[in-house]
Amino acid sequence: MDEPMVDAPGQQVKVTFTTTETDLQLPETKRQLLVPADIRRYGLSRILNSESMLDTGSIPFDFLINGSFLRTSLQDYLVANGLSLETNLTLQYVRSLIPPVYEASFEHDDWVSAVDVLSAASPAGRWSGDSFQHGHDRILSASYDGLLRIWNASGQVITTSPSGSHGGHTASVKAAKFLTSSQLASAGMDRTVRVWKYTEADAFSGELKPTLELYGHAGSVDSLEVDGASRRLLTASADGAIGFWSAAKASAPEADASLLPNAHTSKRRRLATSVTVAQRGPLFLMPVHTAPATAAVFDPRDRTVAYSASQDHTVRTLDLTTGAVVSTLATSHPLLSLCAVPRAGGGSPLLAAGTSARHITMLDPRASTAATSVMTLRGHANKVVSIAASPDNDYSLVSASHDGTCRIWDLRSVRPAAKDEGGMGSVSEPVYVIERESLKTDKGAKKRPAGGEGCKVFSVVWDRLGIFSGGEDKKVQVNSGRNVVAD
Amino acid sequence: MGSKLTDKKRKQVESDSESDNELANGLFDGVLSQSESDDDDYIASGDEDEDVDDSGSEDSEGTDDDEDENDDGFSSDEIPSDVEHEDEMDKLAKKQEELEITEPGVDPKPRKKAEEEEEGRNYRIEKDANGGERYVYDEIDPVYDSDDTDFNEPANTIGNIPLSFYDSYPHIGYDINGKKIMRPATGDALQSLLDSIEVPEGWTGLTDINTGNPLNLTKEELELVRRVQMGLLPEDVEDPYPDTVEWFTSVEEKMPLSAAPEPKRRFVPSKNEAKQIMKLVRAIREGRILPYKPPEEREKELEEQEEQYFDLWQNEEPRAPNPMHIPAPKLPPPGYDLSYNPPEEYLPTKEEREAWEKEDPEDREKDYLPTKYDALRKVPAWGSFVKERFERCMDLYLAPRVRKNRLNIDPNSLLPKLPSPSELKPFPTVVQTIFRGHDGRVRSVAIDPTGVALATGGDDGTVRVWELLTGRQVWSVKLSSDEPVNTVRWRPTKDAFILAAAAGEDIFLMVPTHASVTPALDQASRDILSAGFGYATNGQQQQLAPGKEPPGKWSRPGTKLEDEGVLIKITVRSAVKVINWHRRGDHFCTVSPRGQRSSVAIHTLSKHLTQIPFRKLAGLAQTAAFHPLRPLFFVATQRTIRCYDLQKLELVKIVQPGAKWISSFDIHPGGDNLIVGSYDKRLLWHDLDLSNRPYKTMRFHGEAIRQVRYHKGGLPLFADASDDGTLQIFHGKVPNDQLENPTIVPVKMLKGHKVVSKLGVLDIDWHPREPWCVSAGADGTARLWM
Repeated sequence: MDEPMVDAPGQQVKVTFTTTETDLQLPETKRQLLVPADIRRYGLSRILNSESMLDTGSIPFDFLINGSFLRTSLQDYLVANGLSLETNLTLQYVRSLIPPVYEASFEHDDWVSAVDVLSAASPAGRWSGDSFQHGHDRILSASYDGLLRIWNASGQVITTSPSGSHGGHTASVKAAKFLTSSQLASAGMDRTVRVWKYTEADAFSGELKPTLELYGHAGSVDSLEVDGASRRLLTASADGAIGFWSAAKASAPEADASLLPNAHTSKRRRLATSVTVAQRGPLFLMPVHTAPATAAVFDPRDRTVAYSASQDHTVRTLDLTTGAVVSTLATSHPLLSLCAVPRAGGGSPLLAAGTSARHITMLDPRASTAATSVMTLRGHANKVVSIAASPDNDYSLVSASHDGTCRIWDLRSVRPAAKDEGGMGSVSEPVYVIERESLKTDKGAKKRPAGGEGCKVFSVVWDRLGIFSGGEDKKVQVNSGRNVVAD
Repeated sequence: MGSKLTDKKRKQVESDSESDNELANGLFDGVLSQSESDDDDYIASGDEDEDVDDSGSEDSEGTDDDEDENDDGFSSDEIPSDVEHEDEMDKLAKKQEELEITEPGVDPKPRKKAEEEEEGRNYRIEKDANGGERYVYDEIDPVYDSDDTDFNEPANTIGNIPLSFYDSYPHIGYDINGKKIMRPATGDALQSLLDSIEVPEGWTGLTDINTGNPLNLTKEELELVRRVQMGLLPEDVEDPYPDTVEWFTSVEEKMPLSAAPEPKRRFVPSKNEAKQIMKLVRAIREGRILPYKPPEEREKELEEQEEQYFDLWQNEEPRAPNPMHIPAPKLPPPGYDLSYNPPEEYLPTKEEREAWEKEDPEDREKDYLPTKYDALRKVPAWGSFVKERFERCMDLYLAPRVRKNRLNIDPNSLLPKLPSPSELKPFPTVVQTIFRGHDGRVRSVAIDPTGVALATGGDDGTVRVWELLTGRQVWSVKLSSDEPVNTVRWRPTKDAFILAAAAGEDIFLMVPTHASVTPALDQASRDILSAGFGYATNGQQQQLAPGKEPPGKWSRPGTKLEDEGVLIKITVRSAVKVINWHRRGDHFCTVSPRGQRSSVAIHTLSKHLTQIPFRKLAGLAQTAAFHPLRPLFFVATQRTIRCYDLQKLELVKIVQPGAKWISSFDIHPGGDNLIVGSYDKRLLWHDLDLSNRPYKTMRFHGEAIRQVRYHKGGLPLFADASDDGTLQIFHGKVPNDQLENPTIVPVKMLKGHKVVSKLGVLDIDWHPREPWCVSAGADGTARLWM
């Protein structure tokens, strides 16, 4: 392996290999190496894989220099950064990424507003514990036609929720989540949160049965977060309130009668359901926001803490035991989505908030309100309406936007913000861009339409099964999600 | 003799002609004597020709007789006579006879007398062809020295043609009688030999062109020739150059012959001459006569005349030194680098030299390169001396000699200091959602007070409600099948969810189905809408005179629409174009520009009451609005906006934007400022406290402005929508301090709407909180910009 290096004419660069991966540490003596200046990622990766080094065979590696990935030869990098060839370069090697290739699309009748996955590694799979049968991966999609659909991994509909007149949602569903493998929750524009019992007769048929109707919000419920372990639901509504609900009939309080659909209008009477479902109210309804609340998430460590984002530019930390606002993080843009990224060291998570100003703001809820924005992820061309963290690590995200793309971000790859980006904080750019497959025609990728017309992505979820995104093109698109971001 | 010789020569060739002659004459005797000279013969027969030689040939007559006879003999022998010959002769004889008959000018009587006299007669009597008598006269033989001109010449009447034409004939022409003139005989070799031996005097050897006879010179002529050859005077004169006899001498005699005094004219200058001279002098002075000059000199003068030089400072007067006077600039004194032997550091390096040479002459800092010479005597002449002087003159000529009092102000500094748009964020920049669904134009857009729903009304007669962020249509109702929905406006309070829309002459009030309409809110809205029906039935509206139609008829629109949520229909007298709510939501005003007297109406929701506030309006009402804070009511006609106090019921103010046709206006939420859009492409900002005239006029659109709108949620933004398909976003900050002027900065032009049949963007509305705006386009879309 050393011969090509010796034979190679031209200059050599002294490099030092480092890594954060515990299983891929090099012995102390081998960390420093002279490599040809024109070597690229592939060559470096082969050197690392060689017998004299790691002896790992063929793990593709990527190399980070000062926080950015090496995409050129070492020489070009040095020239571009104005460094001399004698510089000792520190190369941090990480497992290489595989592009999130398109796998499948699940066709719907109407816009897909929300997607969730039930798999062994998904939160719902973990919450269901032993009751989850391995291999029975399920995909839940909520649509603007007011129906929930459950698909198996190969794209067949297993069951569809009943319509509005049979105990289902009477308007579009905006959010849906698996609680466990047999229970799921959904919320929508009919201001209700519904809890469903899901039973499967066999692998190809099942039944969704409404078990609970939760009333309390005065506006469209746009976001739903569940905690399967405690069977608690967290919702954010356009009326600016954050709802905290129990999915158990017994522990849920009575609903406010004024919010129940009563029979004094002809229209309501017409829509009255034939199925009677228990109607309950919220544990807490926290009208904490002055503008529509757009997302609420549990703290991944501490399920008594929640974070909510709203169009009033704030992220609020809520104490779910008392229903009080703990702290408020103000940003400069309306926030449309929120995702809590757990931190490796434990403690409070990092919050990724998608804004209507086409970027994602990373917030640290611990920090003072003065300097909350840790990082800005720039690249989207339209509102960022859904963010999901990687199931495998704590530094990668996928975000869905109305511009018709999902973008994958690596929080480790940062650069200082340029002047026109505000000049403050650090900025990251997407690692991958997942286009909508429906936009691609025989002639290749089309230019994305203005305003994301016809291709808006409303929801994205990242599981080991893949990256599932649903949007205006009436499809759930599946892209592979393994090793997309370097470990 | 010369003539004779030619005669003989000719005879040899053309003997027949001679015999012809003989026959023709019919006079055999005397023929010879006459034919001594053929010329004579011809003269006798011809009347016209004059021959110069006549006299000479006559002179030699006597001497040549014998030879002539011989000649004849010879000639007759030589000619081989034949039959043709005689035939010809016969013919010719006949002709001759005929000709002689017609001879004119003969009187027969004297002829008879002559017969009698026989000898004295000068004619013969002959028989003519008819046997008649005819008189043939003899040739008149003029005496020697006769003056008869007729006789002079043997006339050959061939005209003025060369004789060579007759070379192939025996004759050389015809005489006056038409007889052939035979070619004179030419001598043979022997004869010519003889002739050569005895050259007659006066022989020249030349032939007369006209006659073909030898050209002989007379004695006198020969003498003349001789004299000329000798260089003597041709005439024999005694003394060609006699001495002058000075009859009048210039010498003044001491004793003059005459004692007469000299005449006065001798010493008095001639007046006539003086006159003539003065004439010339005058002409010269006036330039009519130019003194002669050689042409090349004249040309040079002309050239010189064209080039005229003026001394620019010829008439310059010395001026008193004052600060405004600038003397001509002086050349800078020479520096080291101008020295012939400059110090080393002044010498250019090779690179500098190359750079200097590479530069354009105009760009060079100095137009020379310092050069080193050992001694001054080695310095060459300054090559560009003339050029340099010329440039110096040019500099002096072109340099302004008077200091101009120019204001040294950077024009940019005069512009008011406007912040750059990037500092004025946030404002909408790109289209983020497109609301597509209307069939035909979207005429009106409105965002509800909570900022989650968007209502649109369009040409298809429908009112649609959309989810603002996603662009999802959530509700739709068709109000009219033929009338477009001209305007939709939300009731501005949050205690109810009521939308007002106008289609044609009908105004509809509705409660759309929407996620944010909870049963309680729905009930509250319905209560607000239906509260007035009690009023109507209670007979509270009886102020109207019976029989007079109320200005607005409030009714229920029918079950079909009521099921959709449309609860009230108000029918007014003409098509409503504008609806504007009062901030409390109990009143709204409508404007129907074609409505004449009832164009502006104020509707009270709680009483289901429609009132016409103006019995008479100066101009066509365009739009109307309530003041956001005070009880004021603004009505815009085509040219002016009038402000009325609703409590005192009086006209407060007339705002005159100066636009030709106002399309829309909006009142700043602070209440003191007003923006006006006009169909003549102008956007006008009025400060109501300041003046009735616009504070600022902006004309940035290429087409009419349809709608103007302030941001009502606390952001210093306003926007206008134009038929050119664009929206323009302005930053318009109204300061709290009354003394400061509003800051107006155009920040963004939003393009995206297509222009369809010359209509672009028809309406705009701002989000109640965020810097987002929605536009309604004639292309059938509404767009959310953020």
